[in-house]
Amino acid sequence: MIEEMNKVQIIGPKNSLDECIRVLHAAAVVHIETIPAPADIDSMFQKLPMEKEKMLQKETLEKGEERLRNLTHLLKEPGSYRAQRFGHEEIHGYLEEVAPVEEKVKALRAEKDSLSEELVSINRYERLLHGFAPIVLSRLGGLRNFEIVGLTVEKTRADIPGLIDAEIKKITGGNYQIYVKDLDEKDVGIVLAYERKHDAQVRYLLSGKSISEVRLPDEYSSLSLVEALKLMGRKKAAIPGRLSAVERDLESISVEWYGKIIGLIKAIEDAIDEIGMIMYAAQTRFTFVIEGWVPVRLLGLLKEKFRDLFGEKVLVRELEIKDAEVDLIPVHIKNPRIFRPFEVFLSALPPPKYGSVDPTPYVAVFFPLFFGLIVGDIGYGVIILLISLYLRRRFRGKEMLSDIASVLSVSSVAAIIFGFLFGELFGDLGQRLGVIHPLIFHRTEALKTTMVLTIGIGIGHVLLGIIIGIANQLSRGKRKEAGAKGAYLTVILSFLFILAVLFNFLPRGFLTPGVVVLAVSFIVLTALEGILGPLEFLKALGNILSYLRIMAVGTASVVMAVVANRIGGLSEDLIVGIIAAGIIHALNVVLSVLSPSIQSMRLHYVEFFSKFYEGGGRKYAPFKKR
Amino acid sequence: MEKGLIALAAAIAIGLPALATAWAQSKIGAAGAGTMAEKPELAGIIIILVAIPETMVLLGFVVAYLIIG
Repeated sequence: MIEEMNKVQIIGPKNSLDECIRVLHAAAVVHIETIPAPADIDSMFQKLPMEKEKMLQKETLEKGEERLRNLTHLLKEPGSYRAQRFGHEEIHGYLEEVAPVEEKVKALRAEKDSLSEELVSINRYERLLHGFAPIVLSRLGGLRNFEIVGLTVEKTRADIPGLIDAEIKKITGGNYQIYVKDLDEKDVGIVLAYERKHDAQVRYLLSGKSISEVRLPDEYSSLSLVEALKLMGRKKAAIPGRLSAVERDLESISVEWYGKIIGLIKAIEDAIDEIGMIMYAAQTRFTFVIEGWVPVRLLGLLKEKFRDLFGEKVLVRELEIKDAEVDLIPVHIKNPRIFRPFEVFLSALPPPKYGSVDPTPYVAVFFPLFFGLIVGDIGYGVIILLISLYLRRRFRGKEMLSDIASVLSVSSVAAIIFGFLFGELFGDLGQRLGVIHPLIFHRTEALKTTMVLTIGIGIGHVLLGIIIGIANQLSRGKRKEAGAKGAYLTVILSFLFILAVLFNFLPRGFLTPGVVVLAVSFIVLTALEGILGPLEFLKALGNILSYLRIMAVGTASVVMAVVANRIGGLSEDLIVGIIAAGIIHALNVVLSVLSPSIQSMRLHYVEFFSKFYEGGGRKYAPFKKR
Repeated sequence: MEKGLIALAAAIAIGLPALATAWAQSKIGAAGAGTMAEKPELAGIIIILVAIPETMVLLGFVVAYLIIG
């Protein structure tokens, strides 16, 4: 239901403005509207200027919020936490309290990053040194007067080892050794051993060829290869322990502080909102003025609250809504608890206009019905019900996902009920085992009956949409639009009436009156709606036929389940058969969630809503705490 | 022979609209994926747009059923 709204004006002395804003914030019922800037300077209302002190306060709060947000990025969100509530007066004190925690977290994160970096670097060097080690130790280990240089070359530069070999031969006069070894898929390692006196010339050669020597971090450079490897091994063994100790510290800080930090961020955002609210208000010489929208249901409570707190000092009064403002009235949709999850279907559309129809109650009835008709299987229904109940628990607190899970659980109950009626338990498995039989008809055998049933549902649903549209136009005093929709309804009804006569469902004598009513209503429709009227009629026929998808997708789902059982039955081994059938049934369950949901959604959005839904409303967003 | 022709006619009656639906959905789907990358909040409308051409194959199914029936 779209709630009725009142426009309210709150007037009080300027020195009560801050307190008044705080009360409005806590009341959380007023959708505040900007009071437009006056056209001339002599106007009674002027915009309220933002005081310098407030600007500074806002700036400080914004900086604090940024600091806290950065801190939350450094901490891992704990599995569960509750945002602590803070009053505005506590913000600065707690910001100071958080400062040492912030420093500690930063230091721990820096340590964690440096340890991770060291681990990566050790792994890289260790790989290279291990590659060289057998060569260096076994063949060059005792050559004290020799210089040993390790190089890495990409495999794409395959000519380099040969070139180096030839050049060094020239420099050293053949007194050298070169070893080439594949290090991994990308690199080749080269170890050169030559007399120390040729070192300068060799390095000059290597730098000329742009070949980089494997340089160890400084702390290893003075060590021998074996010692370097040992040190690396020791560090590699110690780093994971140190890393997990740092992570444990961060986690314990997160458990203790995350809720407080998030609560503090919210409190800061609330304080900033309250300062920003001044921009919406206006002033006279001595008073402030705030305007907004309140649901009629809550206006009495708001007035009472202001009277209790401010007495006669602050006035809350209703304003008359001008015609030009009707389209600006924010829309607040409020439904009984059982229908509320179905409001999720409106999230894909612009909100309905104020005064038009909220389709949620209709969706709550028809969506599960269509879903149940398509799935129509006890086994699939139970599985979907269990999954949706689990998801509802899992996503508690995440409104949209939990609503989707709720819709799915209601719809799965409908699927179970239709499963009983169609006698389906994992397709024809229930019937094969003799545990269940169709109560009304078998879907795959009674194809014609299913077609007639779904078209009948289509006629009912589309006509209901048109009737809702007529009722809404009448309630808003739009007689011409209501008349056009009435003519539209009569054209469709008389056409269906004629079809019923032609297919011998009604006596032949009804044909002439049917044709006369059709002709008259057709003329009225064309007169009221123009050329689009007849086109709408054709569209409505297409809309009705579109409900056949309930039968088509439903039949496809049953056939797939039957195929799963047959494939399972083909195997001589019972377990293999169950696994094969289970896999196909599992796939069918997934499709049974997706396809019926999308098709039922489409039937609502395209076929049903197009008959009465008017989008383009503004969502009601009361000024409330975060 | 006649049975075979009837079956063929029914197959064409559902097959061609199925191809047409697939072609239309491929165009809408590609455009929809692009739109979603820019404006994820339009996902609901895109799902509806993708589902719209399915009416063609449903009508094809009805015609095929009438041919066989």
